Order: sequence, then C-alpha cells, then structure tokens
Amino acid sequence: MVTGSTNGPDEVTTKEYAVTIDEHRLRELTEESSDLQSDALQVTKQALDEYVELSHEEEAPPPAAAALVDHDGEEGSATVSTRRLLVGALVAGGFGVAVASLFAGTAVAGASTTGDVDILETAASIEVLAVATYGKALTLPFIGGSSANPVVKAFAQTTKAQHAQHLQAFNAATARLGGAKQTKPDPKYAKIVQAAVPTLKSAADVVGLARTLELVAAETYVKDCSELSSKSARTVMASIMGVEAQHVAVLDAVGALLAAGAPQLITLSPTNVAKLPAVAGSLGIPYPFWPTAQASPATEGAVK
Amino acid sequence: MRSNRRQLRADISDSELAAMTKSMDELHHDESLPKLRAAVAEWTEEIAAASPVREAPNPSRRRFLIGTGGVIAAGGLLAACSSTPAAAHHTRRKSSGTGGNSGSGSGSSSGLSPADATSLAVDASIENLAVAAYTKGIDAATAGKLGAVPPAVPVFATTARSHHAAHAAAFNAVLTAAGLSAVHEPDPVLTPVVTKKFATVKNVGDLAELALLLENVAAQTYQADVGGLTSTHAIATTASIQPVEMTHAAILYFVLGKYPGAQTASGTPLAFNPLQLSRPNSDVSST
Repeated sequence: MVTGSTNGPDEVTTKEYAVTIDEHRLRELTEESSDLQSDALQVTKQALDEYVELSHEEEAPPPAAAALVDHDGEEGSATVSTRRLLVGALVAGGFGVAVASLFAGTAVAGASTTGDVDILETAASIEVLAVATYGKALTLPFIGGSSANPVVKAFAQTTKAQHAQHLQAFNAATARLGGAKQTKPDPKYAKIVQAAVPTLKSAADVVGLARTLELVAAETYVKDCSELSSKSARTVMASIMGVEAQHVAVLDAVGALLAAGAPQLITLSPTNVAKLPAVAGSLGIPYPFWPTAQASPATEGAVK
Repeated sequence: MRSNRRQLRADISDSELAAMTKSMDELHHDESLPKLRAAVAEWTEEIAAASPVREAPNPSRRRFLIGTGGVIAAGGLLAACSSTPAAAHHTRRKSSGTGGNSGSGSGSSSGLSPADATSLAVDASIENLAVAAYTKGIDAATAGKLGAVPPAVPVFATTARSHHAAHAAAFNAVLTAAGLSAVHEPDPVLTPVVTKKFATVKNVGDLAELALLLENVAAQTYQADVGGLTSTHAIATTASIQPVEMTHAAILYFVLGKYPGAQTASGTPLAFNPLQLSRPNSDVSST
C-alpha cells in the first residue's frame, strides 16, 4: 500500500500488502466509513470552499497553486495549516457533518459563476444517473443477488456510494454559488439507461452500460477542467475525474473477463495475476490520453 | 457480450482477449493522441501569431518530441539523475522580444507563466522517471531477477511505459511550443528515492508496489496541477493525462490483490483522489 509522504521524498514509503484480500475483507473495507474523512475528502471540500470564496474575489490574485497541496511546508504554509485544522475537525465528525460544516453559509451568486454552475449542475446530473443506475443494477440477481460475483457486487456497491459522494460535492458547490440542487439525471443518458434496463440480462450487460456512463463522466470532467473558471473548482473536478477513470478501467477488465467466460479470475488476490494471459496486461489501460469526444456539453444537465 | 457463453475454464487465450481489446488501442490512436497533437499544434500557431519576433530557439534543446520513440534514452535515466538541471530553465523564460512574462499565464506572449512552465517541467521529469523505472523493471524481469513473472506483467509494463513516453512528449510539446526547453531528465528529488527502492525489488509484487507509487505520484501531481495551472492548453493536456495514470494505478492495485481504485492507507476506497504524494515545483526549480 502506498502511503502519503509526510516529511519529504525520503519518507515516501510502501506498506506491505496483505497476502490475500478476499471478498469478506473487501466488504469490510467498503464499510469503513470513518476512513472516508481522509485527506482526499478534506482537500476536495477545502477546494470547493475556496472556490466559492474566490468567486467574490475576481480582482484578487488566486492563491498559489501549491497552496492547494500539502508540500510539507515547502509552500503554502498558511493553507497547509488551515487544511490540517480542517482535517482535525472533520475526522471527528461523520461524512454528512463534514459536508454540512464546510458548505454551511449564505448562498452566493454572480454572473461570473454562471458557466461554472452549469458545469457543476451537469456533473451532478451525471452523478444522479450513475447512482440510480448502480442502484438498479444492485437489484438484479447477477449483480446484487446471490448469483452475483462477490467482487462485482462489492464494486457496484462501492462505486454507487462514491457517485453519491460526488453528487453531494457538486450540489454543495452549486448551492454555494447560488445554483439549484440537481436531483434529476442527465436527460440524454437517462434515456439511454431507460432503454437499456429491460435488456440487462447478465452481469456483462450491466458492466457495459455502467462503462458507458463512467466514460461519459470521466470525459465530461476532463473537458470541464479546461472550462471551469476557478482553479479550486478544477481541483475538485480533477479529484473526481480520475476516480471515474478507474471505474472505467475496472469495468473494462471485468467486462473482458466476463466476455471470455472467465469470471473466476475476477477476484482480488495477489496470486490471481499469475493466471491471467499476457494480453490481460493491457486491459483497463486503453488510452494514453483521456478522450473527450463523448463529453457532455456544460448545459446538458443544468437545472432548467 | 457473447450470446454463447462458453464453459468456464482456468485460462483464456490471448487471441480471445486480444480481439476484445484491439479496439482500445485503435481508439487512442484514432482519437485521443491525434486530438492532443492537433491542440498543441494549434496552440503553437497561436503563439507564433502573437509573437512574430522571437529569440531563435536552441536547436539542441528544442526538440519537438511528439511520439513515443524519441523522448529519452530511458535505460540510463535512473543513474543520470539530473546531471543537467534542464528543468531549471523553465523558471528563466527566454525573452520573446514582445514583452516579459508577468506570470499571468495564458496572457503572456508565450502562453506559459513561470509557475506553469515549472509545473510542466516537473510533470515531464516524472514521466521520464516512470519510463526509466518501467524499463528497469522490464529488464529485470527479462533477466530473470524477479523470479516467476506472470505473462500479463510485462505487457502491462510495456503498455504503461509507452503511455508515459507519450506523456513526456506531450508535456515537452507544451513547453517547446512556448519556446522553452524540453525536459529529458527524471525528477531529481524523486529519482534517488526510486533508485533506492528499486534496489529492494525482488519479485513482481515489489515491482508493482514501486510502479504503483510512481503512478500515484504522477496522478496526484497532475491533479494538483489542474487546479494550479493558468494556461488553458496546459490544463487540458494535464487533465487528459491524470486519468490515465489513475487507470494504471487501478490495474496495479488489482495485480496486488487490492481494491482497484483510490484508497486510504488502510485500503478503504476513496471517492476523491488524494494529493499527499503530489510533487512540488521545487523538485526542479531548485536544481
């Protein structure tokens, strides 16, 4: 396990990984909600908070790029201190408390944020759809039932929860900018999902549909990074887009193994890799650069 | 999904999976890479149009290296830890004759603020290190120094290395399009750490752990950059690369038998990728 660097590169360390992680352990891991109050969450929430603050300070120079990153005191020490305070405060509370406390405040609005609000609302609409789709999938016997591959089931559960957190983050930022909370799914892809649901007859079918949504999410967020006006908003988006990309990678690998009739290889064990054929080494890493051809327009899922 | 599901078996033929994954390789060659090239070329033209009088570039430093073959001679990079502090060039912009750089990013004649240039130099140096590390790993595996090597591992390493070479070329393309030098050395701060760790690699699992560290460092550094960069072109380039490193990391987690995604030190999946491993600009600006 890679751990964070705390005192410079010489202390970038690795932790011995467990010899075997079975499905039970995976479930345990996904249930460790307290760990979700991690630096990742703190940094994202802080960035969102800064984003809203910056929307009022168009004439003022934004904080240094490094201020968003803990560089061990090398840069941005004031922000680091703030961040550490946030970490301490948030670790003590639950996820809902953390979000509420960070985003509590008077809603703000400004013409300069209109484009960003549209982008965030569209992102939220994609997340709404993702949560609903995984939720539906988990009602199917081959994804959430007794016949499901336990790793696939755990992945679906975890991924659904992650999308719910993304939705919460996007809506929190939107609300602070004076936008409306997005509770409806992206209209374009909602139709696609609606049409696909009756045809979902196997785990592979679900994986294919989920892959479509994850790719759209990742592509949209990559594109959004170039269009958002705020660096803090970009930081938030960047902290999410890579997670969606990882969902795509997992779904690519799982989909290929299912299609090849080898679901037994969908397991989390360090010895599993020895059973995979050579070509499996390129599964899940299809792109040298993340595409944006299917990215949703900024207003596609904006609240009407 | 195939309608005729075959009987489950212990192994899969390469041809079966190759057929399924062929489209992936075609995809990135058909869509993402040409698109990036076009974007950088477009940007270069914009810069040229905005800056008709420029200092002639140093031909020895301004190699425009799109493509995976000519980025670096990777084999010796770990040993050649920044013998030339090339990255430091990026804090000293060449005069364009049309005005100095104010640090305002895209508003400058070159399109890159000093901070943006340094960030991209760090990014390129991380990619150079990744290429070198994967090369060393592949060499070690080929030489039988890592014990039994599952066939998927060298394929992954080769694919990931080619991605990193393309990333290095992309970052350098942005730098050279702005009239700056390409970076061909590995991150001078991180390289000794990786070299030290590589000396302890005894098997494929150790190698995967080291690769995972590098992938997470890269992804988190670029993630921080997306928030910090001011040039739209630099942001777009960096944003298109960060998710790729994340997919590398996901597969490495899978290889190690871990949950295949961003996670805490204890292994809990994360909805938001952290930043603790991101590298600061001082990695190159102080050399």
